[in-house]
Amino acid sequence: MQRAAEPPLVAARLWPALDWRALSRQALGFATLLAVLAAWEIASRTRVLTPQFFPPVTEILSTFVALWQNGVFLPHLAATLWRMAVGYGLAVILGIGLGLLLGRWRGLYDLFEPLIEFARPMPPVALIPVLILLLGIGDEMKIAIVAFAAFFPILLNTIDGVRGVHPTLLDVARTFRFRAADVLRKVILPAALPQIMAGLRISLAIALIVALVSEMIGATQGLGYFVLQAQRGLRIRDMYAAIVMLALLGYTLNALFLLLEGRVLAWHRASTGQT
Amino acid sequence: MRVTRLLGFVLIAALLGLWEAGAHAGAIDARYLPPPSAVAAAWWGFATGGQLAESLATTLASWAQGYAIAAVLGISLGTVMGFFPVVRAMLATIVELLRPMPSVAIIPIAIVLFGLGDPMKRFVVAYAALWPVLINTLYGVLAVDPLLIDTARTFRLGAVRSALRVILPAASPYIATGLRISTSIALILVITAELVASRSGLGYFVRAAEQAGRVPEVYAGVLTIAVVGYLLNATFVALEGRVLAWHRGLTAREGV
Repeated sequence: MQRAAEPPLVAARLWPALDWRALSRQALGFATLLAVLAAWEIASRTRVLTPQFFPPVTEILSTFVALWQNGVFLPHLAATLWRMAVGYGLAVILGIGLGLLLGRWRGLYDLFEPLIEFARPMPPVALIPVLILLLGIGDEMKIAIVAFAAFFPILLNTIDGVRGVHPTLLDVARTFRFRAADVLRKVILPAALPQIMAGLRISLAIALIVALVSEMIGATQGLGYFVLQAQRGLRIRDMYAAIVMLALLGYTLNALFLLLEGRVLAWHRASTGQT
Repeated sequence: MRVTRLLGFVLIAALLGLWEAGAHAGAIDARYLPPPSAVAAAWWGFATGGQLAESLATTLASWAQGYAIAAVLGISLGTVMGFFPVVRAMLATIVELLRPMPSVAIIPIAIVLFGLGDPMKRFVVAYAALWPVLINTLYGVLAVDPLLIDTARTFRLGAVRSALRVILPAASPYIATGLRISTSIALILVITAELVASRSGLGYFVRAAEQAGRVPEVYAGVLTIAVVGYLLNATFVALEGRVLAWHRGLTAREGV
């Protein structure tokens, strides 16, 4: 289900070589965005939209700036990123490692298939109450749930990637009498890399979502905690400012990943003759 | 079925047996990890007490309503964006900014707007499930063979009929992918909304059991959610196979 690689962004390259048609398309996009924001601002100021629910955009932005300047956001952001990074890191190691083994040896996969097929479609957030029982509401619980949720897309994409490796490559490795470990590390892993990267990208988005949910349910710090507390305390401007922060965070993580993916896979495209 | 696959089920049975034995022998702390037999008993009480049917119905209703809204909006908006470059250019920036936003960030806004009831859940589900359908429909429409569109034009089908009879069928594998991704996202969001802020549904049942220390019920609830996830996914895969059978037949004949 999370196996399908998502298509790239609508306009993946923000600034392609000077192309007037592309530029005018982008200008149109920004103009529409600005028009929507301006309409919100005016509707809120003239009380067409209830300002208690929809404060003016300019006030949300000034709150956003103030929360940064007062140092309120930074510890929450750091807490969220830390939990996400550790959980995601664990998922990457386990997902790629087990994926290589299960993808390479069919019998091993068959053995675990019923377990994987049952655990995979489960909404991972449902496990948060169980993990609270087992681990408490500290960082361990949050790291564990992030790792669990991010694990499956990486595992399944790695398995698919390994199975898709061209048989010729494996034959060549056999001809050169590569040891099993070297075949995995030097032949299969690089060849399966595009698919693995697709899994890593899906998991990154999931890791962020699950980290936030775990913070909404039980935490004293983190952006998920902050945004829900702001709502409960009816600090609506803080709430919107935090949502802007989350949108920026999601956008930045995705953009950084695409940058990394482009670099990692550059040699791959070159060696397979794709452009 | 191959022997090794059968072994997979044996493995699950063995793990459950170990868990049961470990809990009875005291190797596992049964207060936090009650044995499968206790979980099964709790599940039976949950099912026969009528609470299961009620929670399940609430969760599935929010899921289905939100999902339906997302499907209709996503497919129509995606088709329009795919068909008209101007609309696509206008909405591209907004879509590009909103889509990477973690969907759960919409929950506080939904609470402010709708309170803690079912409309809030519906809104959250619809918002999150919208994006995969929208994006995949858009890509599907953009990928339609221009020859098909030219043919529709030659036969003077008109915009609405070419959209319904030519474009959407040709884009249906993409749309199906979007719908499939959205089934699981919609379930994640409805459970999240129930865990975080709600008074009903399976997510609330699990959360309430956890807070009250009714540990076997927590596991029984989570198990139920896992089964729901499994069945929804299996149903979708089966439906997709049937609905798209003609498409595979068509493209196979063309040797694509």
